[in-house]
Amino acid sequence: MKMLFERFMAISTADPDDTRRRRILNILLVSIGILSLLALAASLAAIFLEVQRWENVKLLIIGSIVTVLGMLIIYLINIFWSGRVAATIFLVFLTLVFAFGDTPEQVSDGRSLFAFAIPIIMASILLAPWLSFVFGTMSGVIVSVIAVSIDRVPNIPAIAGFFVIALVSWLSAGNLEQALKELRDINLNLDKVVVERTQALAESLARERIEAGRNQAILNSIADGVIVFDRNWNAILANPAVRSMLEISRDQVAGKNFRELIQQPGLSPHGRDLLYAMMEHETQPPSFRIEWNGKTLSVSAAQVYDMRNDINVNIGTVAVFRDFTREAELEKLKSTFVAIVSHELRTPLNAILGYSEMFKETVYGPMNEKQVNMADRIMKNTKRLLGLINDLLDQAQMEAGKLTIQMGPVKPAELLETLHGLMDKTAADKNLTLTSEIDPNLPDTINGDAARLQQILVNLVNNAVKFTEQGSIRVRLWRPKENKWGIVISDTGDGIPPSEIPYIFETFRQVDGAATRLHGGFGLGLSIVKQLVHMMNGEIEVESVLGEGSTFMITLPLVIPEKVAVRRS
Amino acid sequence: MSELALIIEDDEDLANIFAEALRGVGFEVEHVADGKIAQERLKSGSAPFLVLLDMHLPHVSGGQLLTQIKQDERFANTMVIITTADARMGEAYVNQADFVLIKPISFVQLRDLTSRLKPKDQS
Repeated sequence: MKMLFERFMAISTADPDDTRRRRILNILLVSIGILSLLALAASLAAIFLEVQRWENVKLLIIGSIVTVLGMLIIYLINIFWSGRVAATIFLVFLTLVFAFGDTPEQVSDGRSLFAFAIPIIMASILLAPWLSFVFGTMSGVIVSVIAVSIDRVPNIPAIAGFFVIALVSWLSAGNLEQALKELRDINLNLDKVVVERTQALAESLARERIEAGRNQAILNSIADGVIVFDRNWNAILANPAVRSMLEISRDQVAGKNFRELIQQPGLSPHGRDLLYAMMEHETQPPSFRIEWNGKTLSVSAAQVYDMRNDINVNIGTVAVFRDFTREAELEKLKSTFVAIVSHELRTPLNAILGYSEMFKETVYGPMNEKQVNMADRIMKNTKRLLGLINDLLDQAQMEAGKLTIQMGPVKPAELLETLHGLMDKTAADKNLTLTSEIDPNLPDTINGDAARLQQILVNLVNNAVKFTEQGSIRVRLWRPKENKWGIVISDTGDGIPPSEIPYIFETFRQVDGAATRLHGGFGLGLSIVKQLVHMMNGEIEVESVLGEGSTFMITLPLVIPEKVAVRRS
Repeated sequence: MSELALIIEDDEDLANIFAEALRGVGFEVEHVADGKIAQERLKSGSAPFLVLLDMHLPHVSGGQLLTQIKQDERFANTMVIITTADARMGEAYVNQADFVLIKPISFVQLRDLTSRLKPKDQS
């Protein structure tokens, strides 16, 4: 029933104000139509029951029929054509009914005057606020004309009243429309915001889903084993690779604490200790190796921080496991191979060295000058070969992480003394002078690895001799800062082109092939020096001017041994 | 009568060179190439004036032989010169031996060192 009524009253236009006005008009039209029908029915009933005679109610019956028809026509116009036209016709009709529905006396100066207020107020609601003034004026004119036609003075206060009513209607209807418009705007904005937000939410959800799917795909296809732990080391994620690497099922890892997981019998006790240490320390070691079910696994862990709001909150750890079994085997093989080869190579070379020295020393009888010279050359070349093998062995040990620095008391003066003993002749053979000095601020005894420091000095001086054709090589031990000491080795050689400086410390690298052929040897010496310096927590720098020479500067932490005084006494 | 020098060295060439150097100085030279044989040799026979001991030997290591020499009173006056290619190992034994020589050992170096160690002939 209600739906039927709604349908009957329905108006569909784009303008919400128009719709509202036409709905109000419809309600009025239907109400008046129903009232007229009731009046008609009552009149007809009165005649039928002979309560009234036709003459008495004739006017009422005709009026009712006209009204019903009028309302119907206006209703149709309102529904199908224009609300404004319908409202205008309705209001003019109403005004005319009031103007001619009573005696002229009553209309100009009596009870019917108030009725004109109705179309004036309605005009502001049904048409436009300002039209109340038009209907006010129209009513004033009609009332005045009727008054004049019966020789009366127009009722001026009543006409002024029409304008006051028009004014009030205008104000209230205007305000109402304004309020409605604002409300509509607010709603419209709100709708827009809701639509935008909904869309953004949907997009971000979709994105997140894509991202999550992609991350999952990456994790699943990655060859490294990955376990993500929360702050308390409960596994929240483990990829298939880690499960096959550690030979554990999904149930054995998902949600389980890492402490539980590493109770597996396949894990070596040392590996277990390392993993415990990993869990207990805030800062993680770069990576370490564990033995798990006969495999060698490299483990590295990284803390995950929530960087939002500029506060770093540790939210867990990502542990990455890599199967290192094959690499570990190869490394072991390689270092064994290098050790054996080095030994096997060195032994005959030592013999060659010894025998050629015996020749040179004419142990088995006198030799001529050329023979002695040749023996000397055999010795020198053998020494070079031995030096190369030692470098290769050092390099191999460094790569395997087996070369260690062993600290102990070192006397800088002794380092230089040994250096001169080893290198003076090498320098003199090329007519170069090797000079050295010690900064008086440098303590007599410092902490360091004597053998490795000696190796650094020999390698650098050897390198300087190789690339210097004339002039000198200067070695200086000094103390650039309170807690630093340094080695400076300068030569008067060819210098190094600036473009080559970044590469001179690389393994097997020399500035150009011709130089390699001319000077002999490989680019291992400098590479070893740099690695040794770094192992001693030091820095090495090079300055070079083409044609003038190069300077290698090493800076090392200065630690003075505690027992110096005791040793001195 | 010349002093006895015992060379314990598995490499025949090096042993040869060392022997030549020592003979040149005037030592009587005895050579053993195997750790186990050296162990037996040290149990009996005359105490040498000097032992040139290689650390890297088959069957019994130079370190074990060094301990044996240090524990035996017969060798109280015997000088021990360790020869090794490993500088680290050499450093470790520096306090137990009289001298540590790092290979390659120069013929001249060995000759000069041992000539200084050898007591001057009475004659």
